[in-house]
This record gives sequence, structure tokens and C-alpha cells, in this order.
Amino acid sequence: MPVQKFRSIEEMNNAQLPESRKPDFEAFLRHCARYWAIAPKKYPRGVFKFRNIEEAQKAREKYNKSRECDGGIKVLKNPIDGPYSQL
Amino acid sequence: MDRDEIIRVLRAFEEAGLEYVLIGATAMGFHGLVRATQDLDLFIRATPENIERLRVALRKTYDSDPHIDEISSADLLGDYPAVRYVPPTGDLYFDVLTRLGESASFETVESEIKEIQGTKVSVATPLALYRLKKNTVREQDHADAAALRKLFNF
Repeated sequence: MPVQKFRSIEEMNNAQLPESRKPDFEAFLRHCARYWAIAPKKYPRGVFKFRNIEEAQKAREKYNKSRECDGGIKVLKNPIDGPYSQL
Repeated sequence: MDRDEIIRVLRAFEEAGLEYVLIGATAMGFHGLVRATQDLDLFIRATPENIERLRVALRKTYDSDPHIDEISSADLLGDYPAVRYVPPTGDLYFDVLTRLGESASFETVESEIKEIQGTKVSVATPLALYRLKKNTVREQDHADAAALRKLFNF
């Protein structure tokens, strides 16, 4: 399975990549590092409490859905407020 | 977040003597099933002493982030058995569980010790992961369960 194709970054994230029976945590770390580089996400920092795992899951889905609106990329609505405003 | 951050936090868990077991995609990674994730899921033993060990480990990793003080025994041992901590780096978070429904907890999830860069890591066994994932409503868990079943012939 040398090449896999995805219609979206979410589909790519959900894809299983069974590489080998050999435990290979380094492969997992490399894969995550690539994913984080391609699809960076920033979650609001802090501690959030949930009564059950379903509540936690809903919170995650809500956040991910809000990110899908802008393709997962932070869009600066007003460039003057962005990092280039000092140029 | 980079790969070293995960190693650092796992090392801090070991140094603090945290009683935990990794579940989720991180645990699957240890068993050779690789997919990307944004969270690190773990069960911890539900005692005030162990929750303090968790805080100690996270403070060490995240430069005494003041939010860590909000992780409380009252919550994790009471009405909020699931606590999500998003560290200052913000691109990966921790889902800390003391129990899942009525049946799953640190005590009931079978684990084994793995090692990464000299750090011992407590990881749910493939069968324990399969049991956790096969009956949930989450689509991703079904895919994970199917992959575990296929790889380990469950």
C-alpha cells in the first residue's frame, strides 16, 4: 500500500496505516509529526471537565466542525492585525 | 507539539510514579497500528495521591502551567471522570479518565509495559483496546477495533 489517496485531511487522519506487527512507536511519532505539520490545530488551552466520554467526544467534534469551516487553517480576517502589521 | 514532547511527558509520568495506562491511538501506535491523533488518552488510578502525581508530571513538562492546578481530585473522583487538559503548546491534548461508564477503569484495563528511549510506558494490551473500542458509538473506534481484530486475529 505505497500510495493512499484522500479527499480531505479528515479522511487522511482517519486512515489506518497498519505498518507491521513489530511494535514501532517511532513510526507513530513520525506519522503524527507529519500530520501536525500538514494540518496544524490549536485548541483552546486549559482544563475542561466532562461527566462522561460522550460529552468529551461532543466537545471535540464541535471544535473540529468549527475548524472545517476555514479548512483547518487560521484565516486572518484583517491582515493589519496579523503578524505582518509591523512590516 | 513535537515528537519529543510526547517522550518528555511519558518520562515525567514514569518519574512521578504515576499509575496509568495509555489507551487510544497512542497505545495503538505502540502495538504497530499507526494513525495520527491529536490527543493522548489515559486511564489513571483513581486516588488523590495518584492525581497529584499526574499534576506533578504535567507541571514538570509544561513549566508549571497554572491551569494544571484545575485538575482536581474532587472532579476526577466525583462527577467528572473525564478531564481534558490542553497544554500551552495547544496542538495536542490529554484526555484523562478515572472511569468509563460502569465497567472500565485503570483496574479493569489489562496493560503491558513498553519502552521508548529508555522510558517505561504502561500501555493497554491489544485485546483490552479492542474491548474498549468495539462497543462505542464513535466511528473512529469501530475502525480501530476492526484494525485490531485484523492485525491480532481477534
